[in-house]
Amino acid sequence: MTKSSYHIVRVGLAITFIWIGILILKNPEAWGGYVRPWAVNLLPISIAQALLSTAILDIIIGVLFLIDWLPWLAGLVASLHLIIVLAVSGITDITVRDIGLLAATLVVTIESLPIYIKSFFKK
Amino acid sequence: MTSQALIFTLSALGISETVYLIKKRLLFQKPVCLIGENCLAVLESKYNKIFIIPNDLLGLLFYITCSLITAFLVIGVSPLLLWANIIKVLIAVGSALSIFLTYLQFRVIKAWCFWCLMSACIIWLMAVIILFTGRLY
Repeated sequence: MTKSSYHIVRVGLAITFIWIGILILKNPEAWGGYVRPWAVNLLPISIAQALLSTAILDIIIGVLFLIDWLPWLAGLVASLHLIIVLAVSGITDITVRDIGLLAATLVVTIESLPIYIKSFFKK
Repeated sequence: MTSQALIFTLSALGISETVYLIKKRLLFQKPVCLIGENCLAVLESKYNKIFIIPNDLLGLLFYITCSLITAFLVIGVSPLLLWANIIKVLIAVGSALSIFLTYLQFRVIKAWCFWCLMSACIIWLMAVIILFTGRLY
């Protein structure tokens, strides 16, 4: 992957994550509808609190992507976050785009891994 | 919502760009010059500061303020009218300053800087969006 294409993906993801975070903060109840009942029952906190935490996490991930600080860590957390989202909401017409986002977050993670982590896996 | 999303997207692009320029300046590295060859002539000219604040830092503060205000407008943090007016004034001042800085590149420094032009285009696009949509909340 060229350096410029990596930055395009990184900034695109940053905008998506921050904007989604802002939209969840605006109306957390509406986003609660995407969570399957079995997942709601597993939550130790209320659905509103869980979504507010998700919104804050999304914004933090987005900011890290945007300023290109620890992008591998942000990408890793974002990938895990998206896997959880896909698991608790199921793959519907709306959430199917999360698969594309997941692929993009994995790209950023792999492309920005620090050398010491890369060399650890090459051993 | 559409205009807010567009202004937020443009602000985020601006944040990303100015953070890149600030990092390069602090590390004494030459930024990539995608168009033209004389980015450094502009970035290191005597016009790279307003009073004592470097233009890249000023730009970053501008874009962060714009994105925060847009977020407040989307979430509905009061007073909405005040936020809308502040962002309009900010973008108007930013547009005027960008015209002046672009003029400096064209006539005074006689060199073009890709990142400076990109920043100017971002601010002008924000101004066009506000001109066409009017209300922001």
